Amino acid sequence: MKQTHIDDVRPESAPPRRAGRPGLTNAALGAAGLAGFLVLCEAVPRLGIVSEDYFPPLSRIADALVTELADQAFWTALGDTLTGWALGLAIAVTAGILAGVVIAVVPFLREATASTIEFLRPIPSVALIPLAVLLYGTELRSVLMLVVYASFWQILIQVLYGVQDVDPVAEETARSYGLGTWARVRHVLWPTALPYVMTGVRLAAAVALILAVTAELVIGAPGLGARIMIAQTSQAVPEMYALVVVTGLLGLLINVGARTVERRALAWHQSVRGEVAV
Amino acid sequence: MDGLLSVSGLRKVYEGSGRRVEAIRDLTFTVDAGELVCLVGPSGCGKTTLLKCMAGLLTPTSGEVLLEGRPVSGPPPGMAVVFQEYGRSLFPWMRVRENVELPLKQKPLTKERRRELVADALDSVGLGDAAGAYPWQLSGGMQQRVAIARALAYEPDVLLMDEPFAAVDAQTRADLEDLVRGLWRDRGITILFVTHDIDEAVYLGERVLVLSASPTVVQEQLKVDLPAERDQLRTRVAPRFAELRTHVYEQIQAAKRGVAGA
Repeated sequence: MKQTHIDDVRPESAPPRRAGRPGLTNAALGAAGLAGFLVLCEAVPRLGIVSEDYFPPLSRIADALVTELADQAFWTALGDTLTGWALGLAIAVTAGILAGVVIAVVPFLREATASTIEFLRPIPSVALIPLAVLLYGTELRSVLMLVVYASFWQILIQVLYGVQDVDPVAEETARSYGLGTWARVRHVLWPTALPYVMTGVRLAAAVALILAVTAELVIGAPGLGARIMIAQTSQAVPEMYALVVVTGLLGLLINVGARTVERRALAWHQSVRGEVAV
Repeated sequence: MDGLLSVSGLRKVYEGSGRRVEAIRDLTFTVDAGELVCLVGPSGCGKTTLLKCMAGLLTPTSGEVLLEGRPVSGPPPGMAVVFQEYGRSLFPWMRVRENVELPLKQKPLTKERRRELVADALDSVGLGDAAGAYPWQLSGGMQQRVAIARALAYEPDVLLMDEPFAAVDAQTRADLEDLVRGLWRDRGITILFVTHDIDEAVYLGERVLVLSASPTVVQEQLKVDLPAERDQLRTRVAPRFAELRTHVYEQIQAAKRGVAGA
């Protein structure tokens, strides 16, 4: 019989996330580091350490970015990329969660699918580019196929870990109060898995953006990736860099957004609430 | 067979990886409606196994458990369980109010009735103003009170308690014991209280069932003839209390040595 007093058994899902306690010095250091990097980007080409043809100074990239922002075609491309990203991610999240929960609830499915998942998961999504082109050409569906394939596994694996984490005492409590299978999925299994799902969504959101841009770059499906490709082939080097910067900023925004959602949804979870003095 | 809850010829054998463990050999006893019975036994004697069989969470190898004459094959609607590990039994993603209300949603009750039951149950454990808190914002003793409130709101015929106070400090424990006695007297529910603590069993129970060491049988049944009004200070120093606890202690020592009940 277990006698231990267990208060803090909830294992952390994925890497530990600390509730922000930044402090002024950290913010200042961060700003200084970024400023230093920007100065370097300006200075290195100006000093002739690298050729300005391939690596234009920051100010010229910034100019190109301003020009881009004024161009309607840029916004269309941005919209295309975001559409591919959001649709693909939504499909992957839905499918990943459904598949994960079903595999968890039906006992034999777990054993039956484990080796197949381990085989399919490591296939790099980009290896499917030829197939995507064969099937869908340069349509949005090509992008979606690659995005969904890459991000689906991120979600599924996290859901599978999450559903394994259900506390037997919580499960027995639910059963003893007559909660049926569906009620237990909703009130016990799902909240238990949610921290993992959130981690999965955050990882998948980043991967989905990478794949959306890659697909556009390689296949030529409309979007920021295709625009980068066009800028490169037409020797518009500062424009190319400007677009790369935009994709970077997108990634940053997506990550910040995902973390905010995570923090809101998991206010009760130990990783967010921290230690509570009782 | 009479009694609200009756256990007859219960046997549970765990089989696994070439090992066969007979946790419970042959248990027979009944609990009448409105009784407060304490089950006490040496550690590792299968108390939790027994409780899970009664709660319909485990299927016995043979024998049966009857609740109001009907065999228990799954968790019966007229039964609530308070577990020892309150920290894991309460859901951290729900506020106290929602934790207490969740089981009620499985019953055909109106929203107003549910609210009434929740408020009433929380009031009777002295946590009327903690409804909006999360369990992890409360102390251990308060968390166990929430778990008790959840069981009360469910309006069970039988309340099973599995060493509910083993993980709280001594002072909180005394308070919670008096709370359980009080609830039992006010509400007239039937309580089966499992513990390894002899003093607790004698202090709380109207009757004490002493279990033997594993493989478990009932070593002895003992009527606790202490006054109904019990008090942490006076009851525990009363000569009769000392006699009873000594008797139970001897029985448990005998049980550990494998001697049949006197």
